[in-house]
Amino acid sequence: MEQTAIDDAKPRQRGGDRPVEPAVELLDICKSFGKVDVLKGVSATVVPGETVCLIGASGSGKSTLLRCINLLSPPTSGTIRVHGQVITAPKVDLNAVRSRIGMVFQHFNLFPHKSALDNITVALRRVRRMSRQEAEERALAQLEKVGLRSLASSRPGSLSGGQQQRVAIARSLAMEPDIMLFDEATSALDPELVKGVLDVMRDLATSSGMTMVVVTHEMNFAREVSDRVLFMDSGVIAEEGPARQLLADPQTPRLRSFLSQVL
Amino acid sequence: MGDFLHSFFDIHQILHVLPTLLGEGLRNTLIIASLSLLLGLTAGLLLSMLLIATRWWLRAPARIYVDIFRGLPAIVTVSIIGIGLPSADIRPFGESPMGYAILAIGLINAAYIAEIFRSGIQSVPVGQMEAGRSLGMSHLTTLMLIVVPQGIRNVLPALANQFIIAVKESSLVYLLGLAVGERELYFIAQQAQAVSYNSSSFVAAGLVYIAFTVPLTHLVNRFDRRMREGKRPTVADEPVGKEPLTPVGAGMEAGA
Ligand SMILES: Nc1ncnc2c1ncn2[C@@H]1O[C@H](COP(=O)(O)OP(=O)(O)OP(=O)(O)O)[C@@H](O)[C@H]1O
Ligand SMILES: [Mg+2]
Repeated sequence: MEQTAIDDAKPRQRGGDRPVEPAVELLDICKSFGKVDVLKGVSATVVPGETVCLIGASGSGKSTLLRCINLLSPPTSGTIRVHGQVITAPKVDLNAVRSRIGMVFQHFNLFPHKSALDNITVALRRVRRMSRQEAEERALAQLEKVGLRSLASSRPGSLSGGQQQRVAIARSLAMEPDIMLFDEATSALDPELVKGVLDVMRDLATSSGMTMVVVTHEMNFAREVSDRVLFMDSGVIAEEGPARQLLADPQTPRLRSFLSQVL
Repeated sequence: MGDFLHSFFDIHQILHVLPTLLGEGLRNTLIIASLSLLLGLTAGLLLSMLLIATRWWLRAPARIYVDIFRGLPAIVTVSIIGIGLPSADIRPFGESPMGYAILAIGLINAAYIAEIFRSGIQSVPVGQMEAGRSLGMSHLTTLMLIVVPQGIRNVLPALANQFIIAVKESSLVYLLGLAVGERELYFIAQQAQAVSYNSSSFVAAGLVYIAFTVPLTHLVNRFDRRMREGKRPTVADEPVGKEPLTPVGAGMEAGA
């Protein structure tokens, strides 16, 4: 059912001449923790199939914005639409919304007491109501895609960080989400393990046409894979544009100084 | 010195009482301890869920319960339930004091076990709840399938310890007076002492307690060490980001 929805969207991706319904629409999102205003009116749009990178200094609100999109941390004010549905409205089925939005965490957050396979099947069975056999077949297929089928029965504790993150990606993808959110998916990894995870993400963005919002410090990834880059600074989007252009020719002093530090 | 040995280590007295201790006493002690632990585990798990609830009116009654039963000396609780209930004509377990004893010690266990479970559940990183919720699982499903199993694993040694405490507390049943056949270790020793005026029967009972609790303590410690060493820390075990380690129940903002 959802698969067809994704298939329908594909031919219209990336600025065809018909207007495309955005995958994600953020309208004037504000978020405060107590007295601290972390997001101060963020508006942005992500079209289906697009990969958008969120960059910015530590504490600028990137994670907070990402966590607003799947309401893990609901905005204080503002409106979020996902494929047309206002998910910030009252009485929205949060679990249904979240099950269509995958999220990959910096520290993987795999379930340590479950095997790689069971990490993936638990939500398939509980949320998608699949039979054990159906769920395991789908989980194995996803593990195959990230090159870890042979480790299906391993516990996270016995996997490398890179392998754990690939299992975590497989866990999200198995839900067949419309949108994937990545929060510094490679920041906690040893340098030699980063590439394997980035390759999976690159493949997802280019071959599978997944809609992705990626918080990252990997500027090469942003440049090569993403369609657009949003630069966040103190809770607002200070600058945005096509990846290559924005990174090569920053307009604001803040972005210029940020890039000079990270590049 | 001879008097001392005779008063506490009279071998005849010990050998005389030991068969009853091992046959009748140990069995009943273990029955009281196990059943009260079972009651404590069930009620304790429920209470711990309430203790971490986001809503205060769920938390408050559980907190009051835990505070009361941890605050009272065990002997008072056993008296109130074992002597108080029957004399107020509330006799769910008939005349036999066993049921009342198990209930009383079980209720005390529940309070301690609730706190053990609560700390275990709250030691699970918030990222686990967030991962579950981001997959579309409900708060309750994530709690039951993801958070609680890990929390319980963290506190298995503390639970085993609680069993040892229950074994010792079972001796308080003597207050209620037990019929032959349902006597536990301490009661048998006390009756033997009342007849012989010799304290060796207390020592004999003590030896049986120790023969049971000391190896168990060491087993628990060994198990605890194995768990700590066997479980290599991974990055995933660390709390996520800058989030303070808030209670899992209250941790995530996205309730519902
Ligand atoms: N749960 C919270 N409670 C209070 N303050 C928070 C919370 N989460 C984030 N903040 C604050 O919000 C600000 C932005 O945090 P956020 O994690 O979104 O930044 P970030 O851009 O992702 O930074 P980094 O690159 O370090 O991950 C920070 O000042 C942080 O301290
Ligand atoms: Mg962050």
